[in-house]
Amino acid sequence: MNSDFHYYATYCAAILAGYSHEESADLAYCDRFVDLCSKTMLFKLKGPAAAATTQFPVELVEARTDISGLQDITRIWSSFHFLPHDLYAEPPHKRCSKRYKSKYRLICNPNGELVKETVKIAKGKGIQAAGVAMHVLADTWAHRYFAGTPSLVINNPYKEYKELIPGEDGITERKISFRHSATSPDDLDRSIYTNSLYSNSETSIMNLGHGRAGHLPDYSFIRYKYLPAWGNYEEILKDNPSDYRHAFCQMITAMKYLRGETAEFELNTYDWDAISEIEDKIDEIICKRQLRSADDWKALGEQLSGHALEDFDIEKYQEEYTSAAKDKKDDTFLGKFIIAALAQKSMVTNKIYESGSKLAGKSIDYSKKGFGGMKAYEKLVKEVGE
Amino acid sequence: MSYFQRIKGIIIGALLLILAAIMFVYPKQSYYIVAAVLGLSLLVYGFRMLWFYFTMARNMVGGKTSLYQAIIVLDLALFTGSVTTMSNYIIIIYLLGVYAFSGFIEIARAVESKRFSSPNWKYKLINGLIMVFAAVALTVFGMVKGNLDLLVYGYAVSLVYTAIMRIVTSLRKTAIVYIQ
Repeated sequence: MNSDFHYYATYCAAILAGYSHEESADLAYCDRFVDLCSKTMLFKLKGPAAAATTQFPVELVEARTDISGLQDITRIWSSFHFLPHDLYAEPPHKRCSKRYKSKYRLICNPNGELVKETVKIAKGKGIQAAGVAMHVLADTWAHRYFAGTPSLVINNPYKEYKELIPGEDGITERKISFRHSATSPDDLDRSIYTNSLYSNSETSIMNLGHGRAGHLPDYSFIRYKYLPAWGNYEEILKDNPSDYRHAFCQMITAMKYLRGETAEFELNTYDWDAISEIEDKIDEIICKRQLRSADDWKALGEQLSGHALEDFDIEKYQEEYTSAAKDKKDDTFLGKFIIAALAQKSMVTNKIYESGSKLAGKSIDYSKKGFGGMKAYEKLVKEVGE
Repeated sequence: MSYFQRIKGIIIGALLLILAAIMFVYPKQSYYIVAAVLGLSLLVYGFRMLWFYFTMARNMVGGKTSLYQAIIVLDLALFTGSVTTMSNYIIIIYLLGVYAFSGFIEIARAVESKRFSSPNWKYKLINGLIMVFAAVALTVFGMVKGNLDLLVYGYAVSLVYTAIMRIVTSLRKTAIVYIQ
């Protein structure tokens, strides 16, 4: 999902879920911050590198693709951006290797048990944890059908893409062209989009997530058809407007649970009633062919809350964190975000490891083996123990 | 390009320089070694591709391409091995042919890069053209003069060029399009 949705649309959903303006803005801030909290950022803040929730392109270019490097990449991208749907799924092929199966099982899709667990562990943990959970939940819709690990056999879609464009005469199909230009913006009028380079290496960083499909999953308006690499030659119709609508309403449902308004967070439950009066407006924003939807979401959010919403400012809470005394850092805004990030990463890594896959690394029982090289997680245990 | 990929590129470049040095010192025997190294490298690469096909790509849409590529590479490896038993001229002409083929591949990659608006297509194109031109020129010149040593030295210079390009590529700053 794009940054506009992660900040402005999340703000709208939080208001609709009953949060105050201030709470909604902070929650949206944390949702957006998940795409910015890289090791470089944490290094600058002098925070624990283990809490990284993303990797910047410059970090990915230099990322190691040996076993431990790949595990680090998988921990970050599977935990926060491509949450696996079913860690025990069976591929459609009759015979496949254990290695293939372990990658297939990391394919992201909404309404998996892990998203339920994600929302559950955020309950009672504050706004920061709620923001992290909303990012993960929203991305399960936008990033569905891709895996958060570098994999040619999973993430490299067959080259033929067709965009479905609604018009007065019904829906027309148009071939999508890709290019690798970092400087040229996507050309919506001619369906020319930027994607990552083809690499026939299974573990190339080019084959991480939806890189080979460009930003198509990040545009709310687009509908397209393609053959995924894992799909046994079955074509997929990706209907982003529908997925984004579902994501929005599921976020409201989840946030009502986090606020204590509902007792349980059930999968496949969407709070359609919450948007009944503004449904047309939301559809209009989602379906509008545009590269940036920030202004539209912001206007809707301000209309809903009756408050002016400030633009996202990455520096907003950094001074508070860096100037706090060492023993007080965990009480700061970003300190709580870091703990929420560690909790999410720890939970997902553990679930992947329990499923028999070592793609995200090992998950150890700290009470028996101590923290070893993972001192950063000590603060997470303290937090849980409190 | 990651740190390890850079190291790998530099090591391969250094090995090519060593091969070129051997060719300069022992021009009469060295092309057997070069052909054998080439054949062995292709064999290892072919088996790796075959392994990848059977364990992973077999289940991928369009994965059969990996199988065909593996078979072609293995076939080429066996052919390269068999060439070492033939006359000196045939071995060195074959090595130059492989070199020219690598140049064509580089040109094809440059064309593809240009099609996708990738900024480094000119670099690839120039590199590919130099490789093809060097191979053709050496073959023609060596045959006209009828001097085998000339061909060997020319091939050794080509290896030095490839080695330097490998090392330069490994040290260059890389800018990639990565979708976040």
